[in-house]
Amino acid sequence: MSRRLLPLVSVLAVAILLGSACSSTPPPQQGAEGGTLRIGYLADMAQADPDVFYDIEGNTVILSVYEGLLKYKPDSTEVAPSLAESWEVSPDGLTYTFKLRSGVKFHDGTALDAQAVKTSFQRRLDVGAAPSYMLEPVASMQTPDATTLVMRLKHPVAPFLHYMASSWGPKVISPKALADHAGKDHAQTWLNEHAVGTGPFQLTAFQRGQRYELTKFADYWGAKAHLDKVDIRIIPDIGTQRLQLQSGDLDAILHSFPQAELEAAKSNPDLQVRDFSAFLNNILYLNTNKKPLSDPALRKTLASAINRDTLVTEVYGPYAKPSSSTYPSGLLDPALAPVSYPPGETTAPANTGKLTFAYTADDSGVHRRMAELIQQRLDAAGFSVTINEVQLPQVFEYVSDLQAAPDLVMQTNTPDGAHPDMWARIEWYSTGGLNYLGYKNARADKALDQALETTDKATADQLYGQAGKIVAQDTAIIFIADPRDVMVLRKNLTGIEHVPNYPWALNFATLQKG
Amino acid sequence: MARFALTRLASLVGILLGLSVVVFLLQAVVPADPVRAMVGASATPEIVEAKRHELGLDQPLPAQYAQFLSRAVRGDLQMSLHTRRPVRTDIAAFLPATLELAATALAMAIVLGGALGLLTARGRGTSLRVGLVASASVPTFLLALVLLVVLYAQLRLVPGSGRISAELEAPTGPTGLLTVDGLLAGRLDVVRDALAHLALPAFCLALAPAVALGRTLRSSLQTVLGSDHIRTARAKGLTERGVLLRHGVRPALNAPLTMTGLQVGMLLAGVVVIESIFAWPGLGLYTARAITSVDFPAIVGVTLVMGAVYVIVNALVDLAQVAADPRLRVR
Repeated sequence: MSRRLLPLVSVLAVAILLGSACSSTPPPQQGAEGGTLRIGYLADMAQADPDVFYDIEGNTVILSVYEGLLKYKPDSTEVAPSLAESWEVSPDGLTYTFKLRSGVKFHDGTALDAQAVKTSFQRRLDVGAAPSYMLEPVASMQTPDATTLVMRLKHPVAPFLHYMASSWGPKVISPKALADHAGKDHAQTWLNEHAVGTGPFQLTAFQRGQRYELTKFADYWGAKAHLDKVDIRIIPDIGTQRLQLQSGDLDAILHSFPQAELEAAKSNPDLQVRDFSAFLNNILYLNTNKKPLSDPALRKTLASAINRDTLVTEVYGPYAKPSSSTYPSGLLDPALAPVSYPPGETTAPANTGKLTFAYTADDSGVHRRMAELIQQRLDAAGFSVTINEVQLPQVFEYVSDLQAAPDLVMQTNTPDGAHPDMWARIEWYSTGGLNYLGYKNARADKALDQALETTDKATADQLYGQAGKIVAQDTAIIFIADPRDVMVLRKNLTGIEHVPNYPWALNFATLQKG
Repeated sequence: MARFALTRLASLVGILLGLSVVVFLLQAVVPADPVRAMVGASATPEIVEAKRHELGLDQPLPAQYAQFLSRAVRGDLQMSLHTRRPVRTDIAAFLPATLELAATALAMAIVLGGALGLLTARGRGTSLRVGLVASASVPTFLLALVLLVVLYAQLRLVPGSGRISAELEAPTGPTGLLTVDGLLAGRLDVVRDALAHLALPAFCLALAPAVALGRTLRSSLQTVLGSDHIRTARAKGLTERGVLLRHGVRPALNAPLTMTGLQVGMLLAGVVVIESIFAWPGLGLYTARAITSVDFPAIVGVTLVMGAVYVIVNALVDLAQVAADPRLRVR
């Protein structure tokens, strides 16, 4: 009971505090150099090895310390140069030639060259952890000179450039560090808690379960960071984080700020609430493999009964829009795979039976609220729904026994990169990693496979749209909302730069503390 | 003494075996796929299966248990699925913080409970009793949040979270207990800072056990105070305070000591919530994360360590009871 009540009580306690704190406001100062940014993580990032790390909490460390060949432009889905200053793709989509930047140094003082990139990328394949899939299509890598890397693919891969720009994409690690600490596991043990990249910050402390410290890298090749340090503390309770933000001991909460508290935070003169476009997507999976939702007509009735548009407003307020497409907003023209769920008058047949509904817990309270409202609305439409809060590893188990799995599963997901393939392939491809309830449609799979190897973007987009339309027509997934990436910051933070595909993250190098 | 130690050691082994079986059965009952959660959504089926094989999770449960036991007797508690480090290393890193917090909380509970028992047995200490009982009746997490709002956010009397201020370079050993290591290194600044960080979480943990101890001591004392030897002591002209402290307390310690042993279990259970609220980097925090990741090697490891601590503390309580009441030795 205590864990369930904890968020509610936290909200009340902090509401009292926020209410009592609307006092004097220091005017925001611009352009200050130096200082320490203090933020909290709700959980330990587990490991700092960029070839193993595959989580969201922690990507601010990875993105500050390491760099890949490409990155995304701020507020955009467009890839931009990073360690590669230019690139060329052959007409057949099989050969990628990257021209590397000169004068780049690793944190250990060694210089970056094409061989260093090749060594790092090969290491990712050798480690073979989850993010290695982004390099698996590579047949060979050549380094004709010190600043050129040529990658030859086994087959065309439409999102390959987005793999290179992804938050979890291949990063370049100092070959000297890899050799010095190789051990028997490709330096995994050492890189678990250390880092030697080329980014604007160095990882100078990694105290598991307590804090991490980033320090400005003086020899960074690009625009140097304004901040001297970033102090990241592990504070697993969002209520405690809010107290510390309010008291000035934290400078920002980058995610999971309770939805119910955002208005109070907005009216606090010491704080600023910022929301950014993101590829977060709140979705409801329907179990098409067992009765009663194996009936497409019943799935459509259920989708109408949710009355999605009012639901989204009620849960998220202004911080989300009802999804207009089967793809997160910005990945694909919504007209190519539109969704809408007009409210209907029909009710569930009397013999429908009970539905089980599982959702994963989140610290902002959004999922619980959403689940409870959906339950109410479905009950009112003649369904009988039982809701359960579950942990993610339980959700991953559902596909192994779909008859025992729940009828409905709700979660918020985000793709690895800003490309439609990186969403559709995990969500509704028949073997997709996030296809929790085992939806299968051979036509959708075929369209996605064709799109993956299509080099013409317009044709590929049509195919992605076709796959999206099929899943929409099947009502196998109800696409509920496109939430914004909401952050609460102290008012004196400026230089805020956000990338839609790097959720829960700001560019620490551009941040300034007044 | 040797017989006592052997009996306790045998019970410790039995309890740890029982606990490990329970957690392994739990693993079979809870439908979850920690491997898929570990390798991520885009991992190919080959990567998932390779990882499952590497971790031995593709074997039948009895085989997994046999393998676990053979490694555990050599001190190897397997690798954590979440941190990817040996569970033994993780426990060594996180246990000192929890021991320091739990020991401080236990000391606070004994002092507060002792004061409550002694005062109320003499018909005094009403305000202390009302204060402690009222505070202990509030759920721990709520009490912690209210105290944080008042003592940290409003009055700035205590730190908001963690074990030590970030700007302090704390000694890294030898015990891992910051107060002890600070003293050994002659770093009074570290000791002061660590005590300031300990105060609030330890107090929140100590309240409920303090009330339980106080009430048990009071009831025990009231029984003892009605006995013949107390009447004799009073007849000899001792003051009421002298009677209580010199002749009353020792015979009344049996039940409160039993209660102390039991309360250690409650206290260890309470650290999960308290460590989360106060960002206390101990086993509670580690366990909370292990549970959400369904990290069974970590869960098993923590369960065994907590079980061992509980058994050892209760053995110490038995020894303390014998010291307080020599008649128990005869039995």
